[in-house]
Amino acid sequence: MVKHISRRALLTSMPALGGLFLTGCTRETFVPPRVRGGLTGAADVLTMSTNRLLLSRQQLAREYRRSDVADPFPTWNQTNPRNAEYQRHLSERFRNWRLPVSGLVGRPTELSLDEIRSLPARTQITAHVCEQGWSAIGEWTGTPLQGVLDAAGGVTPAARYVVVDTYDGWYEGYDLFEVAHPQTILAYGLNGRDLPTGNGAPLRLRVERQCGYKQLKFVRSIKVADSMAGFGKGTGGINSDFGFHWFAGV
Amino acid sequence: MASVHSYNVRICHWVNVVACAYLLVSGVHILLDFPELYWGHTGYRGYPAVFRLSDWGLSWEAAGAIGDRRWGRNSHFTVAWVFLINGLVYVGWNIYSRHFRDHMLPASQGSYGTLQKASYLILIFVYVPLMILTGIAQSPGFTAAMPVLLDMFGGRQSARTLHTIGTVALLFFVGVHVVQVARSGFVSNLRSMITGK
Repeated sequence: MVKHISRRALLTSMPALGGLFLTGCTRETFVPPRVRGGLTGAADVLTMSTNRLLLSRQQLAREYRRSDVADPFPTWNQTNPRNAEYQRHLSERFRNWRLPVSGLVGRPTELSLDEIRSLPARTQITAHVCEQGWSAIGEWTGTPLQGVLDAAGGVTPAARYVVVDTYDGWYEGYDLFEVAHPQTILAYGLNGRDLPTGNGAPLRLRVERQCGYKQLKFVRSIKVADSMAGFGKGTGGINSDFGFHWFAGV
Repeated sequence: MASVHSYNVRICHWVNVVACAYLLVSGVHILLDFPELYWGHTGYRGYPAVFRLSDWGLSWEAAGAIGDRRWGRNSHFTVAWVFLINGLVYVGWNIYSRHFRDHMLPASQGSYGTLQKASYLILIFVYVPLMILTGIAQSPGFTAAMPVLLDMFGGRQSARTLHTIGTVALLFFVGVHVVQVARSGFVSNLRSMITGK
């Protein structure tokens, strides 16, 4: 009898774990690119692996009603990068802007904003959760990051991280489990209008199961890599270079 | 004379004291960095707040200058695991050893009063789980996995406000606890919680 129950428990838990394996479950799914020393590093791994096990079916973050939306949506940190290249694209209303998708993809490519808008769209009304404590709900419209990578021939088997860099000098790495999530989108619209400059025009990443500092604004390029070693200080992103959590699910 | 405390109770008690002190100080740092509280799902600077530290004489900028949220977040989410694991060891061991049944249930023997036993049990089995839940109800990762956390407390910002109120309540409990310890013989109580004698 005991044996029977445990076998059933095992079988019922398999679909949940199956989700992880289907999306290419690797060490990177559970462990940050560089584990910090001591108790903090151990806690980082516990937090990330607990989150990933609980989210192994790639559950969606809560989606709210249109009436819950904050409009105008609050702006925070950089609202208009002083970068000359950015200012030129802004004055040209991003007509000549291109998004390079390079690295470990089938065929490195560049996409215009119109090309990105012509990819399958997704609109989601989700909460932007800042690690500082504030949160606001916005209606984001964009295209799944996975689809953009597919438009570049998909990632190669060696790929482990998708690295996004921005016009305000930020960069962050995202493991493939996060990239594969349906709500991980490159957003070009907010609350039914074009994404405002203050919220990251022309394109901002939405990673709905992590904190605000992972939702990079003013996206400049996308690179697919097998490791984060060659980027910044090698911790996996600018926030973790500064000593914040790389996995920002809490 | 207080009852003799087991190794488990003594070790867990002092680990808990250190963990709670860290959680308190790191939590205050996190709060100081964004010193307003809201109710519901939404809350940001400019949105109607239920509590503003600036109303109590500490401006946003002054609070932000004190609060170190990087240290705060790193410490809070590290020590939270220490607190959780220590608490599970404590509860698990004391259920197994029947300490709760024999000494902590209101009708049991033991040297604590009924009210005292009830308050310890409420602290362990109601208060602590609520603090953990209001904590993770603020997390975008945990709430994606368990959206019920958002409904339980009326929203992410409500959870943050309740988590803060819970911290104040804990300070009140610790105050009463220390006064009780002091009134029933501070030195002998402290000795028994350290040496078990």
